[in-house]
Order: sequence, then C-alpha cells, then structure tokens
Amino acid sequence: MSRQAFLNRLREGLRDMPAGAADDIIADYEAHFAEGEAAGRTEAEVAAALGDPGRLARELKAEAGLKQWEVQRNPSAAAGAVFAVLGLGAIDVLILLPILLPIAGVLFGLAIAGVALFGVGGFVFAIGPFVGTGRDIGAAMLAGVGVMAGGLSLGSLTALATIGFVNALVWYGRLHLRLLKPALEPTEARS
Amino acid sequence: MPEAVQVQLKRGVLELCVLALLSKADAYAYDIASRLAAGIDMGEGTIYPLMRRMQADGLVDTYLVESSAGPPRKYYKLTQTGQTSFTAQKAEWHAFSTAVDDILGGVK
Repeated sequence: MSRQAFLNRLREGLRDMPAGAADDIIADYEAHFAEGEAAGRTEAEVAAALGDPGRLARELKAEAGLKQWEVQRNPSAAAGAVFAVLGLGAIDVLILLPILLPIAGVLFGLAIAGVALFGVGGFVFAIGPFVGTGRDIGAAMLAGVGVMAGGLSLGSLTALATIGFVNALVWYGRLHLRLLKPALEPTEARS
Repeated sequence: MPEAVQVQLKRGVLELCVLALLSKADAYAYDIASRLAAGIDMGEGTIYPLMRRMQADGLVDTYLVESSAGPPRKYYKLTQTGQTSFTAQKAEWHAFSTAVDDILGGVK
C-alpha cells in the first residue's frame, strides 16, 4: 500500500472525529512515513509495518470515545463510548444483545416512570389549591411534593444505574479489547 | 504458546516498555516504535493509539524539536505521574514475573 493510500484510508476511518483531532493523528502517521523513508525504507514497507489503517482508525476512535466518557458523564458520551466499544468488535453483539436489551429496556422504563411520577406529583401539587378545601389543600400539596420527590429519586437512581451499566460495558469492552491484536500480528499485511 | 495468550501478554507490557524507554531518554514516536518492533515484535502502528492514551492519562508530555531533515520532531517525555507509574508498574512486573518463574521452575 502506498503512503497516500494508507493516509486516505486512515482519514476516511477518522472522518467522524473532530477535525482538529483527526488532523493531529494524520500528522503523526505522515511523520512516521517521512522518518521511515529517511531511514531507507519504502512506502510499502512502512505501511505494512504500521498495520491496517481502518483498524487503527477504529482503535483511535475507541480510545477517544472511552476517554470522553471518563471525562464527562452525559448521554451522548455514554452512547459514544458504547458505540466505540461495539465498533471495535471487542464485544460479540449477538451474544450480548439478549442480555443488553432487557437491561436497557428496564432502565428506560424506570427513567420514564421517574419522569411520569414527577409530572403527576407536580400536577397534584398545582391543582391541589383549586379542588380541595381547607386542610385538604395542604394535604394535596404535600402529597404532590412527596410524589415529585419520589419521581426525582427514582430518576436519579436510574441515572446511577445507567452510569454503572455503561461503565460495566466499557470495562468488559476494555477487558476483551482487541486493540493491539492486529497490530501485534503484522505478518498478514507484510506478506 | 497459544497466540491469544501471547497477544494478551504483549498488550499488558507494552505500556510498561514505553515507560521504560522514556525513563532512559526522551524519544520520538518513530524511534519508540522501531525499538519496540525490533524488541517484542509488535506492529509499529500500535504505538500511536498507545501514546495518545498515555498522553491523555497524563503519563507523558510532548515537545517539538527542530530536525535537520524535514519537519520538527515530536518528542515524548515522562511526566511526574508517568515516572511514578513506571516505578509502580516495574515493581509489580518484577513481583509477578518472579512468582511465575518460581512456579514454572517447579514444573518440568
């Protein structure tokens, strides 16, 4: 593979990364080619020793995705981390799917329930003063606040469980990471 | 040795090897990659994801040095955290490899 072909395939693989980060990575590999040629190796030799650019791109993206999840715990980072790990092929999706889907479903259901409970509580709290009389008003408002608090805690427990779930997935992915596998077996590319 | 075991072993010690190289002297990625490729037979491309992760983890830092031929080279050096991590990982490795050697020594 020529230097240009290698860099093109790498760039193609990195296209959904932020432009700055992708450019940095490409520059690293360009420098590697330059050094290799200065040391008297051909482009094809350098490319073969580097390994498959598509696989390297997936590793680099996975690394970035996992890092993002460690830095900020938000839904898009979680989705990024999960997809990065899946994209590596580190997790056999077909085997894991029957386990993942029910858990994700339960978490999703709990989140919805938390939101609904919070909404109902807010509703009871808001209409309390209009439907009841005397002591009932206070009771209805208190009950509303109670239900809202219940909704909130259910929501936050669900969020905690979701974070734990994504962490477990990332941990599992890292454990089974084939990150270095193809690069450790450069023979197929070399021949 | 089954291929999978070998891959896992190399993967585990790769970071330790990079830390060890850098503890002796700062180096640029091509240099690290070719020394590791020669020493433990790993693909050179692997070094870049690894260096990126180590930099993100604060183990190494980079600086540019003008090169006589071509563009400036990006040198890697150990940070304080990297130095500490190297000392700890080296001790772990010695303890682990000694224990494994002891067991292997008893099995012919």
